[in-house]
Order: sequence, then C-alpha cells, then structure tokens
Amino acid sequence: MAIENKKGWIFWFNPLKYSSDKWLYALHRLTGIALGLYLMAHVFETSRILDGPITWNSTMVFLDWPFGVHFGPYILSGILLAATFHALNGLRLTITESGLLMPKPYRIEYPYKAKSLRGWNMVLKILLGIFMIIISIFGIVYIFTGVIL
Amino acid sequence: MKESKIMLIQYITGIFILVLGALHFLAISALAPTSDKVLYQYANNSTSTHTLTGGTLYYTTVTTIYHTLFWGSIFELLLTFLVFHIFNGFRIILSEQFPGDRSEKAITYIMLVAGLIIFIWGSKTVVTMLLGGGL
Amino acid sequence: MELMLKGFGEVVKTVTLRVRRYDPEKKELPKYMEYKVPVQRGMTVLDGILYIKEHIDPSLAARYSCRMGICGSCAMIINNRERLACQTQILDLGKDLIKVDPMGNYDLVKDLVPDLTKLFRNHESIKPYIIRQEEKVTGEFLQLPEERELYSMFTECIMCGACLSACPTMATDELYLGPQALAQSFRYIADSRDIGFNERLNLLDSKHGVWRCHFAGACSDVCPKGIDPALAIQLLKGMLAKNVFVKYQQKPAKIGPDRKSILETAQS
Repeated sequence: MAIENKKGWIFWFNPLKYSSDKWLYALHRLTGIALGLYLMAHVFETSRILDGPITWNSTMVFLDWPFGVHFGPYILSGILLAATFHALNGLRLTITESGLLMPKPYRIEYPYKAKSLRGWNMVLKILLGIFMIIISIFGIVYIFTGVIL
Repeated sequence: MKESKIMLIQYITGIFILVLGALHFLAISALAPTSDKVLYQYANNSTSTHTLTGGTLYYTTVTTIYHTLFWGSIFELLLTFLVFHIFNGFRIILSEQFPGDRSEKAITYIMLVAGLIIFIWGSKTVVTMLLGGGL
Repeated sequence: MELMLKGFGEVVKTVTLRVRRYDPEKKELPKYMEYKVPVQRGMTVLDGILYIKEHIDPSLAARYSCRMGICGSCAMIINNRERLACQTQILDLGKDLIKVDPMGNYDLVKDLVPDLTKLFRNHESIKPYIIRQEEKVTGEFLQLPEERELYSMFTECIMCGACLSACPTMATDELYLGPQALAQSFRYIADSRDIGFNERLNLLDSKHGVWRCHFAGACSDVCPKGIDPALAIQLLKGMLAKNVFVKYQQKPAKIGPDRKSILETAQS
C-alpha cells in the first residue's frame, strides 16, 4: 500500500539547497503572515484613541516599554524591515509574474542555468537588496534616535 | 470571481499599499505636525513610571493627524486595500494548506467575515476621528 | 589516452549511502539504513544503489531504466536536492555521507519508488496535444523555425517529476497542477499550430492553476534537463492577466498542400 509522502508546510520555509528565489519566497510568505497578524493588532491598538488621551498615552508607553523593558524600537524596526521586504519583493514579483522582464523561451545549453532566475530578475533582486539596506538604515536610525537623516 | 481577476486586484492593491503605506509611515515621522520628529518624548524626572509629554505618537499629535481630511482618507483607503490584500493572502496560504472544495469554501467565508470585521473596526476609528471624535 | 584511463576501476574511497527504506508489507514507518559503498571514478549514485542491490541488500527497490538521463525514471532526492541518480557523480558531491530519499509530494510505493500517477494525470488534464477546429486535416501544419523557438525548450521534458517534488506549493496542495503540467500547457498554447487557449483556460485559471505559483524558482533550479518551467508559468500568468482586458487571440497555422497534390506537381 502506497503511503503519502508530502513535504508539508514546513517546506515553504525551507530554502536550503535551492536558488535565491526560494529564499525570497520563504521570507515573503513569513513576512506576509507576520504583517497580516500585525494589522489586526494595529487596528485594535489604534482604536484605543477613541477612549481618550489617558488610555492612548498609556497604551503608547506600554508599547514602547512592554513590561518595563525598552523593547518598542526593536518591534518597530522588525515591522519596518518586514514591511520593506514584503513591499519591495512584492514589487519584484508583480513585475516578473506578469511576464515583464522575463526572457523569451530560449534554447537550452549546458551547463543548465535557468534564465528566468537570472538576467533581469537578478538585477531586480540586487536592487531589492540595495533598497533594503538604504531604507533599513534610515528607518532604524529614525526609530532609535528620532533623527531624520 | 475568476482567479486571474482576484490576483490582478491583489497585485494592484499591493502597489497602492506600497505608496499609501509609505505615506502612513511619513505621517507619524517626517510629516508629523510637531517641531521635534521624535516618536516618544518622556518627562525627564520620571525614571520608573514613564509619562509621555510629547512626540509624534502623543495624543494631541495623533488626533491632529486624524482630524485632517487628507490623512483620514489616506488611512481609510490604506485600510481597505490592506484588508483585501491580507485576507486574500491568508486565503491563498490556507487553501494551499487545506486544499479541497469544502475546506476552501469554508476558508473563503471565514476570511470574508474576518476581513469585514477588521474593516469595520478600523473604519470606525478613522471615521469617528475624522468627524471630530476624541477628546 | 593512457593518462585518461589511469585510475579507472580503482576504488577511490568508501562512502556511506543513507537510504530511506519503506516496505509496504510491513506496518512500519520509513526509516534510514546505511550502506558502505566503495566508489570508483565515474560512479553515479544509481551505480551505488545498484551496488547495494547486488552485494548488500537485494530488497532495496529503485526505479531506473536508461542510466543516461533520458528516460527520467530515477529522479530522487540526493543530499536534500532533487537530482537524477544516473547523472549525479558520487565524487562530484564531495561528501562521505550521501543521503538518498525518494521524491517528496508523491505517494510512496516502496523504498525509492514514488507513485507518479499524479504527474501523469495532471499532464493529461491540460490536453497535451494540438487542438484544431478542422475535422479532417489533409496536409501538415506549416510552422516557421522562429515560431518553433517559442516553445521548443519545453518539448525537452522527460517527465521525471523532479519539479513537482521541489515545488513548495505542491508540498501541501495536492490539487495544484504542478510546474510540469503548466509548462506543458504553455508549450501547446505558444505553439502556432494550436488554438486551444480557451479550452485550457478554465483549468489554468482555476483555484489550483497558474496563480498558485509564487515564483519560488525551485522547479527551474532542479530540472535535470535545464528546462525553465518557472519561466513558462510566469509567461502564462502574463497571458492570463492580459486576457482579462483583451481576449487572447490565436491564429491557427496554415495547412500545407496534401500528399496527392505534392506527388502530382513532382510528376509534372
């Protein structure tokens, strides 16, 4: 009797041994889920403004110093990094998945290197990395110090 | 609705979220109606109990932002796009985890209801603040 | 010549093959067994498996046929990556421990033998043949070499099924068509002789069609024949997205003269 041998959802987040696109896929999915859950928390958190200034200010202080630890900036930086990555990679996917900047079907030549994962797609991936670094430097410096570079 | 139309909306909302989300970040940072753009400003004397005295997340700053028609409409639009984008994303992820006609129907309806709840809840905040809510 | 043959047939080193075993007759979960295999220069993983079969454990089951990367029977997961066992040199892997798993995302028949029924059913469902309106075709369909270039790479598919095993969507969604079937549907839609876009549209645009691909690129990465299924799927998505606004038009290729008239002109 044959048994089922599915790799399961854990394989979504296992990019080892595959190309860089699989890394981006895993991160895109992970950040997507995280940001989706964050939106729900954010909607709840912002709705507290209707309860007046005391509730709002104490909520804000709690989010900056949860349980007496100055952890707020780290949370904000995490959200910023996740949102930036998801946005930039989403832009890359919008471009490539609509068939733009994709090569025409080509003749296969040894050694086999898939051109859809290279070429313009690689340029977009490098741009993603560059923008990621720039935005995260600006954002994290602002979040921690309040200085706009 | 055909899957290709849903996915087209997914991509288009994604691009709008990128623009509006960037504006949303700017609203509480660079474009905030305060002289000092720092997020939190605490009273100097307090060490153990923190009291907020200013900053872009201070109550009066945030209400000023909410009361502006421009920012209010941007938040509302952003919320609309986000709710679609996120709950459609969840639907895709969940229907890949639990494929099948019945389970997918259930997932679609659950996501629809959850999306509506979040949308109404968020809109309530934005609209009441826009109509001069808050103290 | 002598230099090239030097060291041929000599045992270079001994590696351990850690093979996942599953016997359907015993009610046991799959488990790993280790075998020591002496390696000669030029020995592939399939040769290693055959060595185990001949010298150590004859009960080990693996599917293979041509031993030269043409039939696509021996795809398996070697060191956590889908490869054809007959094309993977043990010495090229550069490891002393080689993990051999059956392909994932398929039902498991025995040891290293996956049940490829899903692959063939999905391939069948996208109508992998040229669809025409004519009831009776008298001559050949005419096609320019440039028109053939648009799909020729996808005709190289040997249906080993490595892409389905590498696909992260396939890892959970068993109703998904899979990279192989989608690339083949692109191959027929892009073919200038075919007019079956609308016939295939319902399946491609369904909940488990092209849009469940999120461009992880694993299929193109592992394909042992260098085909780029991810490219085909992205181009299909582009077609489907444009089809929402402007209906996709397919012009059927002209039919050439029939055999009788060719013979007549040749005689005259």
